Amino acid sequence: LCVGGQAAAAGEGQSTPATCSPLCRCDEDGGADCSGRGLTSVPTGLSAFTYYLDISMNNITELPANVFRNLPYLEELRLAGNDLAFIHPEALSGLHQLKVLMLQNNQLKTVPSAALKNLNALQSLRLDANHITSVPEDSFEGLQQLRHLWLDDNSLTEVPISPLQHQSNLQALTLALNRITHIPDNAFANLSSLVVLHLHNNRIQEIGKNCFNGLDNLETLDLNFNNLKIFPEAIQMLPKLKELGFHSNNIASIPEGAFCRNSLLRTIHLFDNPLSFVGTTAFQNLSDLHSLMLRGASMMQDFPSLTGTINLESLTLTGTKIRSIPADLCEDLTVLRTVDLSYNDIEDLPSFQGCVRLQDINLQHNQIKQIDRGTFQGMTSLRVLDLSRNQIKFIHRDAFLSLSALTNLDLSLNSLASVPTAGLSALNQLKLTGNMELRNGLMSKTLPKLRSITVPYAYQCCAFVAYDSAVNPAEDDERRNAFGGEEDMERIPMVMHCSPLPGAFKPCEHLLGSWM
Amino acid sequence: ISTEVPPSCSNGCEHCSEYNGCLKCRPRLFILLERNDIRQIGICLAACPVGYYGIRNRDMNKCTQCKIENCEACFSRNFCTKCKEGLYSHRGRCFSSCPEGFTVNGTMEC
Repeated sequence: LCVGGQAAAAGEGQSTPATCSPLCRCDEDGGADCSGRGLTSVPTGLSAFTYYLDISMNNITELPANVFRNLPYLEELRLAGNDLAFIHPEALSGLHQLKVLMLQNNQLKTVPSAALKNLNALQSLRLDANHITSVPEDSFEGLQQLRHLWLDDNSLTEVPISPLQHQSNLQALTLALNRITHIPDNAFANLSSLVVLHLHNNRIQEIGKNCFNGLDNLETLDLNFNNLKIFPEAIQMLPKLKELGFHSNNIASIPEGAFCRNSLLRTIHLFDNPLSFVGTTAFQNLSDLHSLMLRGASMMQDFPSLTGTINLESLTLTGTKIRSIPADLCEDLTVLRTVDLSYNDIEDLPSFQGCVRLQDINLQHNQIKQIDRGTFQGMTSLRVLDLSRNQIKFIHRDAFLSLSALTNLDLSLNSLASVPTAGLSALNQLKLTGNMELRNGLMSKTLPKLRSITVPYAYQCCAFVAYDSAVNPAEDDERRNAFGGEEDMERIPMVMHCSPLPGAFKPCEHLLGSWM
Repeated sequence: ISTEVPPSCSNGCEHCSEYNGCLKCRPRLFILLERNDIRQIGICLAACPVGYYGIRNRDMNKCTQCKIENCEACFSRNFCTKCKEGLYSHRGRCFSSCPEGFTVNGTMEC
């Protein structure tokens, strides 16, 4: 970094070309960093070839006329974090090559439209975190190259429709964190190049059915944290939409065919809405959708059709009145990896056989009564299965036969009298609490990897008492006799955790023989 | 570089901690978490550094790493505003050559 040269007053016939200001750090490429130095005005004495100037985080309250006149090659000007309240109409004149202008975190109350007028090369304009309440009609006139515009975190009460209407090259726009209450029809009609539109954290209650007309290339629309009561059907005019967010609104229902014209959707964020109804055809034919999360649609009775939504990897559908799962669910969802259908009213389970990649199934808190032979057949990738809080009385003895990768099985709080363990060679956590009919002891040798088990009765933990290999031979014989002297006494696996433990009286030692 | 002397907080900090720098910045500033050995040091900025972009929300503004391939500056998680040298930008992504059906214009854009 070059040392600050003789600080000549910019533009006053200096004899030797200025290289840097003593108030800045300059590099050989034409970059000058004068940020965070408590400056109250733009430093002078900078090289005419400066292309990058950072004066952010100072205390500059206004920009006078022609203050950058001697920096014709400036491409990036950072003025963020000052106290700028006034920019003279001629302040930025001469900056014909300026591409990036950062004015965020200042005190501007309106868009300095006059000052911006001739910035023909400007591509990125940051006006976020000011106090802008109005956007004059001609604010962005002349900015034909504008691609990225930040107006978020201001005090706008409406979409600046006419100032934006000529910005056909604009690709990214954020109006988030303002006080916008509605979006009229054709609000963004000419923004045919817009790819990203952020409107989150406003007060948007209603939007016109045609308010997104013209946004032919929009890929990301963020309507999160608003007050929408009705599903934004205007999204149907967005054929290229890939990411849609309207979580944290007041939407009660998602209509049939809600996304039928948004076939490229990959992500939909819709949690934290008081959903009570979801149209069964809402999520059909979304072949790029990877994850669907629907919680608490309390009036929903029918499982949504997911035909054509063939790349879904994660499905969460909880808190509904759904009673059954379509038998053909896994015909389409062959790449499904996690499914959470807890807290519904499901009674019968189909076969999940086609969902060969499923690793995690959560069916907790339903009304399932039995598990058939074929329910989990062929599911060699399944690792976690939660069937707790149901009414399961019967599990077919071969039900878990192919679950060779299952490590966690929760059957607690059901009505089981017996539990098949065939196939559970990899299981290391088993929960059986609350199955009050399950009285007999459990055969630990069929669960060689078990490390944690909860059982309805303490005595059942005796079969899983930790066997300390360091115990002396005498004790070893005594223990072997206690097991009927079997020569090749099966080594009881070291169970890290079994509850409820038999307690202070250690019935296992006294009553061991009578059970085993 | 591990500094024994507790890092002083940058200006713009509202809640400074001896060990982790700034924990809470003044409203509307972005917090950037820099790694210093095993520590994370909070710094308050009005503009995120190169390779990061700012996410503004009601309760916190944060500098987040721009993870778009071949991108130097992001507008958001999935939109690049400046591609690396020699690459072409198209709808917020960076390409070594323009996608089919698109040609280059003067400003390294397809």
